[in-house]
Amino acid sequence: MEDVIRGFVLLMEVQNLLLIFGGVLVGVLVGALPGLSSPMAIALLMPFTISLDPVASISMMAALYCAGTFGGSITAILINAPGAPPAVATALDGYQMAKNGEPGRALGLAAVSSVLGGIFAIVIFLFATPLLADIALKFGPVEYFGLSVFALSMLAAMSGKSSIRNLVAGALGVFVSTIGVHLATGVERYDFDIQELTEGIKFVPVLIGLFAMSELLAQSKTLNNAVERMSAKALRLPTIAELKSLKGTILRSSGLGTFIGILPAEGSTVAAMMGYNEAKRFSKTPEKFGTGCAEGIVGPEAANNAAAGGAMVPTLALGIPGSGTTALILAALVMHGFRPGPYLITETPHLVYAIFGAMLFANFAFLGIGLVGARFFSYVTFIPKRFLWPSVFVFSLIGSYAYSSAIFDVWVMLLSGIIGYFALRNGFSPAPFVMGLILGKMVEETFTQSMVIYESNFMNFFDSGVFIFFVILTVISLSSPFWPQIRAKFKPKTVE
Amino acid sequence: MSDEKKTFDFAPKTLGAGFIHKKDLVLAIILVAFGAFMYYEAGKFPEAPAILGDTLNADVFPKMLITILFILVAIIPFEFKLTPAKIAKIDKDRGDKTPPITWISILLLLTIVSFAEFLGAVVTMFITCLLLPLVWGERNYIAVAIYSVVFPGFVYLLFNKLLGLYFNPGILELLK
Repeated sequence: MEDVIRGFVLLMEVQNLLLIFGGVLVGVLVGALPGLSSPMAIALLMPFTISLDPVASISMMAALYCAGTFGGSITAILINAPGAPPAVATALDGYQMAKNGEPGRALGLAAVSSVLGGIFAIVIFLFATPLLADIALKFGPVEYFGLSVFALSMLAAMSGKSSIRNLVAGALGVFVSTIGVHLATGVERYDFDIQELTEGIKFVPVLIGLFAMSELLAQSKTLNNAVERMSAKALRLPTIAELKSLKGTILRSSGLGTFIGILPAEGSTVAAMMGYNEAKRFSKTPEKFGTGCAEGIVGPEAANNAAAGGAMVPTLALGIPGSGTTALILAALVMHGFRPGPYLITETPHLVYAIFGAMLFANFAFLGIGLVGARFFSYVTFIPKRFLWPSVFVFSLIGSYAYSSAIFDVWVMLLSGIIGYFALRNGFSPAPFVMGLILGKMVEETFTQSMVIYESNFMNFFDSGVFIFFVILTVISLSSPFWPQIRAKFKPKTVE
Repeated sequence: MSDEKKTFDFAPKTLGAGFIHKKDLVLAIILVAFGAFMYYEAGKFPEAPAILGDTLNADVFPKMLITILFILVAIIPFEFKLTPAKIAKIDKDRGDKTPPITWISILLLLTIVSFAEFLGAVVTMFITCLLLPLVWGERNYIAVAIYSVVFPGFVYLLFNKLLGLYFNPGILELLK
């Protein structure tokens, strides 16, 4: 309890509250702007937070993550252009409701269900994180190796264009993490006589390159795209009676979203799609979906915001990112000198509770922002791309240079961006690569330690029941993308 | 008929491939070449002292990873048979050639970064804000001029003066 109070007291400092509020504003803004995203904003912000208080910095990023998920729904509803992938499902009914003349109501439903989904997940987060960390404290290197391999295998099931490509990107990310000095032997690996490479490839420039630069290049061909916008003066909160009629959908989607968020690698996008599908499946009027029905908005919105909270659980308790964005928050934790994983809550519990408080604050803050500023945020989509993206490049340039005042990092950022752009065109997403890059060190360290413990015999790893459990989960996760085909093959054919 | 079935023939027809996806084959060859080179490089790492055992050698983990990568990459050219709808979507995205504006943007950004250290942070920001909008077709010259002065000025004041971030003076130092 003392730690909870300490975490909250830390948050209550004016400077920290302002930073968190700033994070919410930036989150809603980048969420609302198609092309910009929360991971991109966090990657760009990361180097500038070095000089700030670490707890406030991480809390600000967590707040930005929550708000970014909601921000995407504003443009999804008003201009049918989801600002962020998790809002794609919201656009299906949100835009229709706006077209039916009720944009304020659509925004209100999205905001309130987002807040409720977010709060649901935060409560789970508060209780699940210490519990999971307690379990993880009993893990040895071999169990951790099994867990991290399972987390990487989840990339196969992660939303994206191709499971195989996600796994390839993840493996490449792990491979890049091997560049630099090998800790066990002191051997310099893949440095090609470039001094900067002996320290390994730094996270921050790569993250900025992959999330910001590759998107800048992708946007260079859509400079003249025009958008049609619905006018909405402000959002209109749903009535108590309306909320009562939707409580089943909100609760179901919140639970589903939290669970999906907790699964390593899965994120808000999958949660939103599943939230929408489940809302439709349980609806008494499924035929109304796609025509602007309330359930079609609250289902995905409660789920995607709950997933954001859920994704923080494995990130903070195990050091395993729950989504692409939390992978960046994990990188920020490392950058600020924290030790992600179960020791985070035993050594710095106030940080975990401060993050919890920041996410709670963010949920109420974006509701307030939505109440008064929805109209403004729908206008931000009119910022000309020809001015917006050069600004992103300037931030990328300054951010990657600021990290260690080395032009080498700027090159790493730019080359990552160019490679990322062509990779994106060929179906590779940046998030799996980042997950691999961030988990890479843990995978290698725990593998090496396990080999030492088990006298260099890999088969001895199976002496651990927990390791076997993770191997089974890994097999399930790797085979999951092929289940629909297998199911279809064995499904009895029906004659129409 | 499911969506998967509907799009099943898309990739082979458009890419002239019946058994193998040509674009993905090229992609796989690039990845295999990269992996092979890295595998070869790993072979050159010095060995760990005998007391640490074979498995602690610096090349063990990278070689293991590259082997996994080879297995995964080998599936890529045949992926359109496994998940045709998904690969059809990727083919749609990469179907168009990279537009000239993207190549020009890449060249411009490479040039800007090449001279960034010499020019210094403020001048680099100014040039970026001036050239990128113009290259991207912005013809409101007054807006571009205002933007290229105001935005770098704002960034300089915020990050250098307020947050104390180091900005390399570059060419501006010569003016002092």
